[in-house]
Amino acid sequence: MSESTPTLSVKDLRVGSPFNDLLHGISFDIAAGERVGLIGESGSGKSLTATSVMGLLPETLAATGTIRLNGVDADLLTAGERRLNSLRGNAMAMVFQEPMTALNPLMRVGAQVAEIMTVHRTERGRRPARERAVELLAQVKLPNPAEAALAFPHQLSGGQRQRVMLAMAMANDPQLLLCDEPTTALDVTVQAEVLKLIGNLVTERGTALLLITHDIAVVAEVCQRVLVMHQGNIVEDGPVGRVLTAPQHPYTQKLIAASDLSSVDDRGRLHTMSMPVISTQRVAPSSPRPLQADAAAAPILPPHRAAHQRLEQGGPPVIFNEVAGKPAISVRSLSRQYRRRGGGLFAPAPIVHGLREVSFDVAEGERFGIVGESGSGKSTLMRILCALDQPSGGTVDVLGQSIGGASERQLRDFRSQVQIVFQDPMGSLDPRMRVRDIVAEPLRHIGRAEALARVEAQLAAVGLDADVMHRHPHQFSGGQRQRISIARALITRPRVLVADEAVSALDVSVRAQVLNLLADLVDEYQLTLVFVSHDLGVIRHLCDTVAVISDGRIVECGPTASVYDRPLHPYTRQLVSATPSLDELARRVVN
Amino acid sequence: MVFVVLRRLGVFATTVVVASVVTFLMLSILPGNAARIALGVQATEADVAAQATAMGLDRPAIVRYLDWFGHVLIGDFGTSTVSRQPIGPEITDALGITVILVLTSVVLALLFAIPFGILTAVRQRKPDGVILSGISQIGVAVPGFLAGMLLVTVFAVTLRWLPAGGWIDPAEDFTGFLEHLILPAIALGSVQGAVLSRYVRSSVLEVMREDFIRTARAKGLGAGRALFWHGLRNAAVPVMTVLGLQIATLLVGAVVIERVFSIPGLGSLLLDKVALRDLPAVQGIVLVLVVFVLLLNFLVDLAFTLIDPRLRSAA
Repeated sequence: MSESTPTLSVKDLRVGSPFNDLLHGISFDIAAGERVGLIGESGSGKSLTATSVMGLLPETLAATGTIRLNGVDADLLTAGERRLNSLRGNAMAMVFQEPMTALNPLMRVGAQVAEIMTVHRTERGRRPARERAVELLAQVKLPNPAEAALAFPHQLSGGQRQRVMLAMAMANDPQLLLCDEPTTALDVTVQAEVLKLIGNLVTERGTALLLITHDIAVVAEVCQRVLVMHQGNIVEDGPVGRVLTAPQHPYTQKLIAASDLSSVDDRGRLHTMSMPVISTQRVAPSSPRPLQADAAAAPILPPHRAAHQRLEQGGPPVIFNEVAGKPAISVRSLSRQYRRRGGGLFAPAPIVHGLREVSFDVAEGERFGIVGESGSGKSTLMRILCALDQPSGGTVDVLGQSIGGASERQLRDFRSQVQIVFQDPMGSLDPRMRVRDIVAEPLRHIGRAEALARVEAQLAAVGLDADVMHRHPHQFSGGQRQRISIARALITRPRVLVADEAVSALDVSVRAQVLNLLADLVDEYQLTLVFVSHDLGVIRHLCDTVAVISDGRIVECGPTASVYDRPLHPYTRQLVSATPSLDELARRVVN
Repeated sequence: MVFVVLRRLGVFATTVVVASVVTFLMLSILPGNAARIALGVQATEADVAAQATAMGLDRPAIVRYLDWFGHVLIGDFGTSTVSRQPIGPEITDALGITVILVLTSVVLALLFAIPFGILTAVRQRKPDGVILSGISQIGVAVPGFLAGMLLVTVFAVTLRWLPAGGWIDPAEDFTGFLEHLILPAIALGSVQGAVLSRYVRSSVLEVMREDFIRTARAKGLGAGRALFWHGLRNAAVPVMTVLGLQIATLLVGAVVIERVFSIPGLGSLLLDKVALRDLPAVQGIVLVLVVFVLLLNFLVDLAFTLIDPRLRSAA
């Protein structure tokens, strides 16, 4: 680094409440125009670092140390509120994670962008500020910027809102831009575009960037240098290429290994990090497994291998992954339409097509991935497969039962055969129920003692000790809660397990553990797995077959490796190129 | 936007019709015959029958309903069975007084609740915030009539600043009108104000935790400016919901407060007419009260659409 003063200089920053310390004295500099990534898992202190710089720590936390911004004589930690107000949004700006809630829902976005200029008097008067706001919206590549300026946030998509946030942050040409997980809530293709935009904007204007993320790929995409945070300390600091290819600190090594879904150990399992879990030891498969006996009696079919097919533009509907014999799931010409509420007083409500003419099979014991972006129809498809929603047309047979139009009474057996693991491990567990009652709830017609014994065995099978039974969901971490969800799903000994973004809300290290667990359980219980996700890496690791869904249609389906290595459909190609593997990233960064 | 307003207007008109049917049915299934009440206990069966025919009570219920509601729509509430006078003018006079009383107390309640609620929210961790918040909690527990009697004792009986009751028409003597309005309006509004301030407080506290307030702070707005420019309008949405629900309570409160301060409003009129068993008048007053509540709720709904662009149109 050169002799010149760094744009941001943080020295011995400690943040804590009266009860515990959260940051243990971190120090780092960011040079002018330098792009620095800050990675770490949830709770590592990365967001606290950014809020300390902005002077927006919650009242209950106190900070010591020094934070200096180039050209500002005062220490940001001790500067007065008035001084900080003049710097925030002016010399330093921040983009937050949640594009859905970070904008005022009652104010037009153009006015929100204009406000940052009138507040700092960088534009004189409202009208020039509004005109400048439209220019800024054009610079972040919003289509029809003049119209977009008059839109309210709810009328824009997540990616568009994040562009608005970026336009706002860059309005006064700050020296330093802080981005806290700016693309985490976005679809992969949108994420790639927004990251490129951030990279271009800061490079053009020579803005220093601190990019906070849990995703190493995001850092590799945009940054030159990376800081690795772990439990309130910076454990590694170095050029991205070096840290990716030759991490030095043991934590970084494990973090990168766990993030890498393409690398497995000699038992085909993902690398995990030794994290304190209530019980890391999974019980050996001595637990009761009644399904094993049934399976042994079943005729052994020749192993099913999916054909690699794509949907042609304007071509006939294709039956994907057609299975000879009896498939576990068979979907034919499935469509689902919704009537959107609203429209005019007399005009008919507009019809939205959730799914159009979808046909595919899933073989018994297959691990079938469904990948797509938000609004693609993947959640609708999942809900119909679980009989939580009704198709508008076509047929759906699961385990030989037709579930379209079936009554709840007819579905009773189906409900115990097909179980679901949801995305949000907090929201999908009743906060007022104890773990034992949550896991035992699907069990019917058996005594309390037997139910509890089965709950205990099931919790052991997902790697949780028996003493968790009496606790409530809020006492667990995200990964543990997802284990509880899996235990609940498996307690009825289902034959089909549907997982909806089951690991999307988890940190990488925990994600690896849960994925290993799911893979083990699928083998052990001989489950047919339908895994719905936006994350190609996860699907690639876990599934044999993948279906790519876009705009309510399956556009491509085939063996996972084949689809990833030789994508046939342009949309699949776009999707695959938007999520490069770590090896590829390292190669790009080094070159 | 126009469609949304028209749709809400349609809903309003429909509920008014439904309310009129319910009011009509409730009073016609009550025991007691309007004709007998009009003639008194001494009347013979033949007289009662003749009177019933004269009043049109022998016609089928649907015809009587349509006749009544059709006339109500053109402002004719029928004739009192007791005073033999048209009911309409009596209701209009009383309604004017109640509307003034209720609206004044809503305004007073808001004038108190909004600053007080914001203050207790902003100062929530400071001693003064906690104390003020405690005071509003006590205010919630005081019933309106008790507040009214306390106010009369202090300001009318002891200090002799204001009259203890009665009513003066604003056209006659505006100062006198204000003097007579002030105590009942405070009595009626204070409880609502206390309740409302609790909601303003929790709503503001909620909004202060929102991400867009953090965004506003990151843009360089001070805490106060961020709350004022971005927070308050958002905080208003849940408060409006409560206000809409409170309006019905406020009218019930007005019936009692009008008694306490002997104000000739709709509430006093209703109680008088019930005591006299003047069924056509009671029926008319109840309908007017119901329509009044519906109308205020309709206005609250419209205000919602103005505040929140997400409600303006689904398209």
